[in-house]
Amino acid sequence: MAEISFSNLSKNYGSIEVLRNINLYIKDGEFIVLVGPSGCGKSTLLRLIAGLETITGGEISIGSQIVNDLEPRDRDLSMIFQSYALYPHMDVARNMGFSLEIRKENKDKRQSLVAKAAKTLGLEDYLDRLPKALSGGQRQRVAMGRAIVRKPRAFLFDEPLSNLDAALRIGMRFEIAKLHQKLGATMIYVTHDQVEAMTLADRIVVMNAGEIEQVGTPIDLYEQPQTLFVAKFIGSPSMNIVPASQSDDGIELPGGKTVKPGGWSKNLNPVQLGFRPEHLSLVEIGKADCTGKAIVTEHLGSDTFVYVDVKGWDPVIVRQRGNSNIQSGTELGISFDTSRLYMFAKDGKTIRGTDT
Amino acid sequence: MEGQTIKSANNTVLGRNSPRLSPHRKTSMFSAKMRSVFEPWLYLSPAIILLVLVMFLPLVIGFTYSFQHYSLFRPNDITWAGFANFEQLWSDWKFWKALKNTVWWTFGSVSIQFILGLGLALLLNRTFPARRLIQALVFLPWAVPTFLSGLTWAWLFNPVIGPLPKILYAVGLTDSAYESILADPAIAMWGPITANVWFGIPFFAITLLAALQSIPKDLYEAAAMDGASAWQGFTKITLPFLAPMIAITVMLRTIWIANFPDFIYTMTKGGPANSTEIVATYIFTTAFRRLDFGYASAVAMVLLLLLLAYAFILLNMRRIQAKG
Repeated sequence: MAEISFSNLSKNYGSIEVLRNINLYIKDGEFIVLVGPSGCGKSTLLRLIAGLETITGGEISIGSQIVNDLEPRDRDLSMIFQSYALYPHMDVARNMGFSLEIRKENKDKRQSLVAKAAKTLGLEDYLDRLPKALSGGQRQRVAMGRAIVRKPRAFLFDEPLSNLDAALRIGMRFEIAKLHQKLGATMIYVTHDQVEAMTLADRIVVMNAGEIEQVGTPIDLYEQPQTLFVAKFIGSPSMNIVPASQSDDGIELPGGKTVKPGGWSKNLNPVQLGFRPEHLSLVEIGKADCTGKAIVTEHLGSDTFVYVDVKGWDPVIVRQRGNSNIQSGTELGISFDTSRLYMFAKDGKTIRGTDT
Repeated sequence: MEGQTIKSANNTVLGRNSPRLSPHRKTSMFSAKMRSVFEPWLYLSPAIILLVLVMFLPLVIGFTYSFQHYSLFRPNDITWAGFANFEQLWSDWKFWKALKNTVWWTFGSVSIQFILGLGLALLLNRTFPARRLIQALVFLPWAVPTFLSGLTWAWLFNPVIGPLPKILYAVGLTDSAYESILADPAIAMWGPITANVWFGIPFFAITLLAALQSIPKDLYEAAAMDGASAWQGFTKITLPFLAPMIAITVMLRTIWIANFPDFIYTMTKGGPANSTEIVATYIFTTAFRRLDFGYASAVAMVLLLLLLAYAFILLNMRRIQAKG
């Protein structure tokens, strides 16, 4: 168990800078998810913590110890790889107990610790099998078992669910959440899937192009994205972003009406306006803020996503509860929840209104 | 398995078609059955004929020679000998000496080749500039005709024109700069072994390098996270992964080297005083110098049996190891 912190961390490969100016403090027992598009540096950051790559600037510390130059084997961390990286020539029990074998623990202790972990993960019946005789989900469990057995200071997950099918992924996500509750250990989890991030994290670190974009709880990020990037990245389907032009009465909408987002004042000069599909409602055309034609409807059972073509904008997604029966081509009225409108400045930062 | 499926598939097709062909049913069924039996053999026949002509026949002829008095010096006196050749062999000290030398020659060469080849493979598996070029260059000794390499090495060991005796003397391994190790019965074998090691390292290096490159890198990362040192990574991941390749290459090289007379023949001709005579060179001189094909065949049969036994034991060990 340990806290982990970075200060002014950077990483270059030759002249290519992949991480810069990373500052973060991770509390003991916290579940942190690093999320971002591919190439944003999240996996590299994880490998820097593990010691599998060396940092080129700044400091990493685990507990109160600076680990910049410490070998991976001396950092006392467990890592779960996307490829599982199980040892193919060893059976499940030996895979899980490998760290104990390395530490030269006696056989009885090894067996009892492996048995305990196997019970937690439901692997008791597979202990004498080779990895090749296991399904993807079982291999993932073995990888987790191998991590648990060694009782590390922290767990590192590198996109652990990416190789699983959708149903299994949800099951394993739940297992990981349970595991975190049970062990109460510090966990750092890398993913490109914002749903995994939202469901698992105590705090999410959104990364973009080698820098930390925003750190916060899932709800913080959802409700108060500090940048356009975070606003678009968090939430599914993602936030509608449209160009904004300002007049004296607010932001002009297609069709001539205007809206005043919460905290509106004249000198904000937003260039883009954002609103989430779930904060739009379909109303009679006469009462609408703007209108458009339905193009496509997606029925998910619990929700319906309606793609609306509003003149001058990219298609806007509206989320309707339940199963709403809208034919494509229908003229629809859209109404905004003005307290849930986001304004973005030219530099991509969120504009905070006067009273928010 | 596959052959069976094809056959049964043919039968069902036949069964479905047979009512229509009822007048000729018996003959057509018979010929179809014959066809399904012989057709595969027909396709295989070029390979089979070739194998019989170049491998099986010579083997059988050699086998029959070993039971005959068959010397080209007495071409009119070729008679069946029963086990006379083998009895002679049992009490032939030159044969036993050659057998002992073969063991020394073979295991001396293979073990040094293997250790140095593995070391070279591990070095070549790292990233460094011009890696591909160097990997290709390493293979060169393998590409030089062994006869030429043998003669060159004999010259290198020559005290008059070769540098090696002076070097060996300078580092204190020999007593005189004008002494050839090839002329000293006690150490002459090291001459051909040195040449053979030089020649054989690339084979191990290249095959083991191929096996090394097939080991996923993330296994080493996982092992490092599990606390393994570089040495533990080598013994617990690299070696188990290489084991099948090591078993097969060591076995092949052992068999090749055990009956590989080129270096010995070109460097020492089995001398001095039979100190470097191996079974392969003994067969060669018996057959082609003394022209006693009967006796040479008997020795060759014994060598063949020993090598078969060796391969059998090694493959079984490997199987047991893979199971356990």
